[in-house]
Amino acid sequence: MPKTITEQNLQALIDLLVKEGTRVVGPKRADTMVLYAPLTNGAELDLIELPRRSAKETFFPLCEEILSYEKKDGKTSVTDIDLDKLPETVLIGARPCDSAAPGILDAVFSWDYNDEFYLERRKKTVIIGLACTRGDDACFCTAVGYAPDTKQGSDLFLAPVEGGGFSVEAVTDKGTALLARYGGLFQDQAAVSPLPVATPTMAKLDLARIKGWLDHNFESDFWKEIAVRCVGCGACAFICPACHCFDINDEGTEAKGCRRKHWDACGFAKFTNHASGHNPRDVQPQRYRNRIMHKFKYYDDKFGKTLCTGCGRCIRACPVGIDIAALIEEISKK
Amino acid sequence: MCIPDKNIYKPYLATIENIIDETPDVRTFRLVFQDEAVRDSFSFRSGQFAEYSAFGYGESTFCIASSPTRKGYIECCFRSVGRVTEALRRLEIGDTLGVRGPYGNSFPIEALYGRNLVFVAGGIALPPLRTLIWNCLDQRDKFGEITIVYGARTEDDLVYKHELKEWQERSDVNLVKTVDPGGNSDTWDGRVGFVPTILEEAAPKSDNCVALVCGPPIMIKFTLPVLEKLGFSDENIITTLENRMKCGLGKCGRCNVGNVYVCKDGPVFTAKQVKEMPQEF
Repeated sequence: MPKTITEQNLQALIDLLVKEGTRVVGPKRADTMVLYAPLTNGAELDLIELPRRSAKETFFPLCEEILSYEKKDGKTSVTDIDLDKLPETVLIGARPCDSAAPGILDAVFSWDYNDEFYLERRKKTVIIGLACTRGDDACFCTAVGYAPDTKQGSDLFLAPVEGGGFSVEAVTDKGTALLARYGGLFQDQAAVSPLPVATPTMAKLDLARIKGWLDHNFESDFWKEIAVRCVGCGACAFICPACHCFDINDEGTEAKGCRRKHWDACGFAKFTNHASGHNPRDVQPQRYRNRIMHKFKYYDDKFGKTLCTGCGRCIRACPVGIDIAALIEEISKK
Repeated sequence: MCIPDKNIYKPYLATIENIIDETPDVRTFRLVFQDEAVRDSFSFRSGQFAEYSAFGYGESTFCIASSPTRKGYIECCFRSVGRVTEALRRLEIGDTLGVRGPYGNSFPIEALYGRNLVFVAGGIALPPLRTLIWNCLDQRDKFGEITIVYGARTEDDLVYKHELKEWQERSDVNLVKTVDPGGNSDTWDGRVGFVPTILEEAAPKSDNCVALVCGPPIMIKFTLPVLEKLGFSDENIITTLENRMKCGLGKCGRCNVGNVYVCKDGPVFTAKQVKEMPQEF
């Protein structure tokens, strides 16, 4: 029989998980915006707005320590991070555009060399997805093959129903286990009427056709035309659920400090700058081309997936109004 | 190769056993791994690279410049041009640095057995070929004629000066060394001219020969047509691409040329492969 959960019980579930020591991450209001952040109690959960940044930092933090070093009495030592200490996590209220992203990123983080910082968090996280009932003009998940009720990537999937509360569906074993463990908070309900999901704003685009054009148009005036406005601020990459570029830097002194891995963006002018001063992507059109190519061609070439879930965040955040959905739509018609 | 730690970003610790100043701003480190197990198990192939770290400053990417035939240590060679390389330069014999690697593909040395080899290098791009040169010289009977065309802007800018002398004196190596016009002193015993010009004059035969080319983009650009003129096919010209890297592991997303990740698919490519890539390097 289908399960449901009331809003009150969903909050109670969070309270219970937090009490048990589980890290619960969910949409939470922080001053002027909603972000995915660790919740201290169920009342903090804010499911109305799409969080400003994606949920990728649950697995791939903006900045994380990857080792520490110390030089003492002339002897240098390096101390590893104890990954076993990473907490069991429940990511709750992830929009379909966010829950689908880790499944795309798994490929690059486990390609030959395993990035255990990412993979360990993946392993220890249960994703409770949420059907999206409120989109906006920037949403284009439907254009890139997803939908407001895509369950892909969710372990447990919630869909708001008429009269409040959510229908609950276990998508994976992890979801089934969570459902079983906290069974008392869920109800059996034969008939539920889910609220209508967000109205798709864009028809599905032919991604193969887009890639086909990209395959043959590395050199094209198109890149100059579209990127002339780009100021290289990198906001699009930082708020993207699928952008994964990062930098590695030391913080501290020669005597003591740590090494950190932190987000970077291919739109930044110095991203590919050589020490000699030579820069293979010297001007912004080259950098913006890389962004589009990476998402809709290179990643597909390497891993058979498109590096975009259509969340629309880059469109909302772009200070100069670059609309990636419109761009790929234009490419699809070429 | 060692069994990597769970943490792929964790470097091995190495001690600087020797320092050689190649030019006023280019320095060679000879490094010995501090952990005996790493020392015994670390193996690499010519052409592979590593990430070298100066703690407190970060990591830099250089090739492993020594030959895998020389056991017990590795060498790197770098120019001090940035924050990390300046910090590395401040290190002294006995100091510790971090090394992650070896990464990337390598020169197909087995495919070179029985072939004549022409090495063409410019400036600080000799180290990536030097590992292979010594690798070949240490098993000299497996290869045919070996020619090395090496040039730099000035005499001062030539790296491995002591080894150039050694190669010059060997009867089984044909070394053609050159400096750019104006870069020579009165006592210079080599050629004067740009590498592509001198290569054309030296005119190595392309029969059963593979050219291994490493240099600044401008040198590569003018060297490839010369090799073509000499009869080398693009499959028989091997080069390395040097892009900015951070992780070296195909994850951080900055070294790609089109869909090719230089850190994983390279850094060694044939001229044919390079020509097929988008021209963005």
